[in-house]
Amino acid sequence: MNALGLLLPELILLVGALLVFLLDVAYDTDRESGASYGLVSGLFLVVAFLAAFFQMSLEPQQAFMMDIDAFAAFIKMTVFAGMALVALAGGRYMNRRTYNQGEFWTFFLIVSLAMSILAGANNLVLIYITIELLSITSYMLAAFFRDELRSAEAGMKYFLYGSVASAVMLYGLSFIYGAVGSLDLREVAGFFVQPDLTEELRVAMIPATLLALAGFAFKASLAPFYQWAPDTYEGSPTPVTTYLSTASKAAAFAVMARFFVVGLSALDVEWVPILAGLSILTMTMGNLAALRQNNVKRLLAYSSVAHAGYILMGLVAVAANAASGMDGLNGVLLYLFAYLFTNVGAFVSLMAVEETTGSVEMEAFQGLIHRAPWLAGMFTLFLLSLAGIPATGGFLGKFFVFGAAVQHQYYWLVAIALVNAGIAAFYYLRIIRTMYFGSQEDAGSRLELPLGMQATLLICTLATLWIGLYPPQVLDWVNTASQQILTAVLF
Amino acid sequence: MPTLPVPTFTQVVFVLIAAFTVISGLGVVVARNLFHSALLLAATFFGVAGLYVMLEAEFLAVTQILIYVGAVATLITFAIMLTRGAMHGETNPLNRQWGKAALFAFLFLVGLLGYLGGIPWPAPFQAIQADEGLIARLGEQLVTRYMVSLEVMGLLLMVALVGAILLARDDKP
Amino acid sequence: MDWLNLLVYPAVRVLVLFFVLLTGFAYLTWYERKLLARFQVRYGPNRAGRFGLLQPLADAIKALFKEEIVPDHVDRPVYLLAPALAIVPALIIWAVIPVAKDFPAVADVPIGILWILAVAGIEGYGVILAGWSSNNNYSLLGALRSSAQMISYELPLGIFLVSILVLAGTFSLVELVEMSRPWWEWLWLWLVFPLFFICILAETNRSPFDLPETENELVAGFQTEYGGMKFALFFMAEYINMITTSAIMATLFFGGWKGPFADQYVWLGPVYLFIKVVALLFLFIWVRASVSRPRWDQLMRFSWQFLLPVSLMHLMGSAVFTVFLK
Repeated sequence: MNALGLLLPELILLVGALLVFLLDVAYDTDRESGASYGLVSGLFLVVAFLAAFFQMSLEPQQAFMMDIDAFAAFIKMTVFAGMALVALAGGRYMNRRTYNQGEFWTFFLIVSLAMSILAGANNLVLIYITIELLSITSYMLAAFFRDELRSAEAGMKYFLYGSVASAVMLYGLSFIYGAVGSLDLREVAGFFVQPDLTEELRVAMIPATLLALAGFAFKASLAPFYQWAPDTYEGSPTPVTTYLSTASKAAAFAVMARFFVVGLSALDVEWVPILAGLSILTMTMGNLAALRQNNVKRLLAYSSVAHAGYILMGLVAVAANAASGMDGLNGVLLYLFAYLFTNVGAFVSLMAVEETTGSVEMEAFQGLIHRAPWLAGMFTLFLLSLAGIPATGGFLGKFFVFGAAVQHQYYWLVAIALVNAGIAAFYYLRIIRTMYFGSQEDAGSRLELPLGMQATLLICTLATLWIGLYPPQVLDWVNTASQQILTAVLF
Repeated sequence: MPTLPVPTFTQVVFVLIAAFTVISGLGVVVARNLFHSALLLAATFFGVAGLYVMLEAEFLAVTQILIYVGAVATLITFAIMLTRGAMHGETNPLNRQWGKAALFAFLFLVGLLGYLGGIPWPAPFQAIQADEGLIARLGEQLVTRYMVSLEVMGLLLMVALVGAILLARDDKP
Repeated sequence: MDWLNLLVYPAVRVLVLFFVLLTGFAYLTWYERKLLARFQVRYGPNRAGRFGLLQPLADAIKALFKEEIVPDHVDRPVYLLAPALAIVPALIIWAVIPVAKDFPAVADVPIGILWILAVAGIEGYGVILAGWSSNNNYSLLGALRSSAQMISYELPLGIFLVSILVLAGTFSLVELVEMSRPWWEWLWLWLVFPLFFICILAETNRSPFDLPETENELVAGFQTEYGGMKFALFFMAEYINMITTSAIMATLFFGGWKGPFADQYVWLGPVYLFIKVVALLFLFIWVRASVSRPRWDQLMRFSWQFLLPVSLMHLMGSAVFTVFLK
């Protein structure tokens, strides 16, 4: 029973998902029930968040092939916070557009559950199955507006890319199993530090790692596996896009961190250059593509690809005992946490504009400041945070990630990243310019935002500023989390 | 004059099963009729089950037949039969990419052979005694150590089922 | 001597088994016609031999000498493969069924119950292939109905098997029969025997679940384009399936070869099994003579909305009993 207690956040979500599902079966579907399902889902997410918060202070331990440590708990907090915000902001959006509200909220909670397990999984089987659960549920959510061509296309593309990626990943994992004879990440790590490890076997793990990386990179939308992302992000229902680009990414990075930093720590000579290359490729491709976009949803999609590249820098620069407290891993966590609130905020702003004007093109943002000054202000803050302007959460995340890279003396990597940040700032500022300096003639009437969105925007704004201006608490969390992983690692 | 090695009974059976598997696998790709491809796929699954038997993994073999031949392939044939216009004739034509695909597949095969052949894979850790206790232990592991994995799989199947119906059903409630 | 054990003894067993089964098939047709006739107050076959006992022989000769016709529009290789694929599962399922004390038909494998499930899974192929390759709408509809029906009823069937497995604690049918079961276990099993029997009826495409070959809608369903010996093979597959499934039910629910003194006199085992199989076959024919065919949607709804939940509940009950009473 004690071991089950360690799974409390997951159990809460499971109960929530099944409850919503059964409620939906038990009662006749009518369009009014969606709000209550959303409310129930939000409540369960909040309770799960509290359980994860409680887990932060536990001693690291294991239960059912899952690590219950501060790292997992912090990722869970990030994910649950993101999902709860999406539920708060996007619930009304979804409920008004679909008849299948019960199924939507069930899937929503199951996606959260999958990400939560992924944060702690330390066994290749569990990692694979959970990635499948997350992916398959996400395919369905992406295609949830099945009558809309774009949504169907989004789901289809996601599904086709995803099924190939996960098959390739499984192939790679099977090679690792063939070499090690165990699926447990700690045993994998132990195997590769053996002194009598042959050089051939070490080299042989490069293709295996590359294949496995394809699956992880797909989930985190890293180049060259990001092509699905813009189409899927654009076509999916906006709440789904929001969690795909934030929470889902956090889970993917968590599992990558555990796989590389814990499982393959002894092979860092092999995987660090690979990840560094992917990082450069991802941020450059994402930013260059984002430059030319006129559709803001698509622009944010490409920018989220670019951000995955920055986050990956933290993994490249991971170090067990860093002098300055920037060990790379805490940069990743901090970046993910700050990016979550910022990007959820940005997408919710987008959703607000979409709700009221029905368009996500650049023109819809023309003169937004006159129609919804608060919204425009907050959106500006989120864009600045995405660009990494000081005093915002995004800055702190970039600072830690870049700092870790500098400390490793990866100057070329940092140089490329800085150039990229400059490019990114340009297109973020373009949106801001449109909002403020657009002509006033075609500015429409004032926008009225629903209460849920207002609340979400406010929370995101406060969180972004909180992380940017007064970070000690967050830094404390991410340092505990990264230290618990890194002290156990055999670098 | 070198003496020709006389193949043992097991080797002969292995070669037969392996040839059957490979030829059916090739047939899946080459067959011009979609339904024939599906049937050959079932045959391939069957051949793989035969290989499992050769490895003395009867449980795995029977499970393979049960799931892949009995359920997956049946479902595929069922889906093809339900699809209009995919019944007879050349329903699985070559497209313009087939040359590149064949080349890539060949290179992949060569690379894989080189890769797998060039590595000293560690020997398996222990021989497993094929007895009934094996299945019992497998079951026990599934509900203890792999409990979360098992539950996640159950959840995955439920979600897939609900989602498939949701996305495919015709009427609006 | 190794090859003797590996090849010859099993081969002899297999040949004997096939001989018994094929004879059984022949006389099952006679048995069914006689019984149906009695149910309908007729005489049934009574011309060839005493009580019409030579009738099956006459039928066989007729089927053998019929002209082999392969229609032009069929997919020839698949069309010819289908009857063979239909009959093989019906025969090979016998491999694991124990016919006497310590004596399985071919081999005592530790995965007997799974074997039954696996073979039941591939049973649908013959029908599917036949329906598709005939290139005929009636055949295709018959095949579609058949495969949908088999997939649907395989679920509760499999779960009932799992339930029995949980109670028995072994995969081997030989051990399953030989172990002594407490009285409540027998009652608990017999409680669901009617439902299990319904699943078996659907799996074997027997009346009242013979929708794949409803004469009034689909001519002869998936067999429409088949004649002569090829048709006879489908016919054989259906009847051998009846015998096989009866033997399985006898083994799972009624103690297989067990009976008074069967432990001492091994030869009594097959006799008891034969009696049980004949009794169950009577049930098949009785149902055919008395129950009318359900509608297509009723068939599906019954499986998914009644049998499946009931089987799951039975499984849960079995698990509880096993934990607390065994």
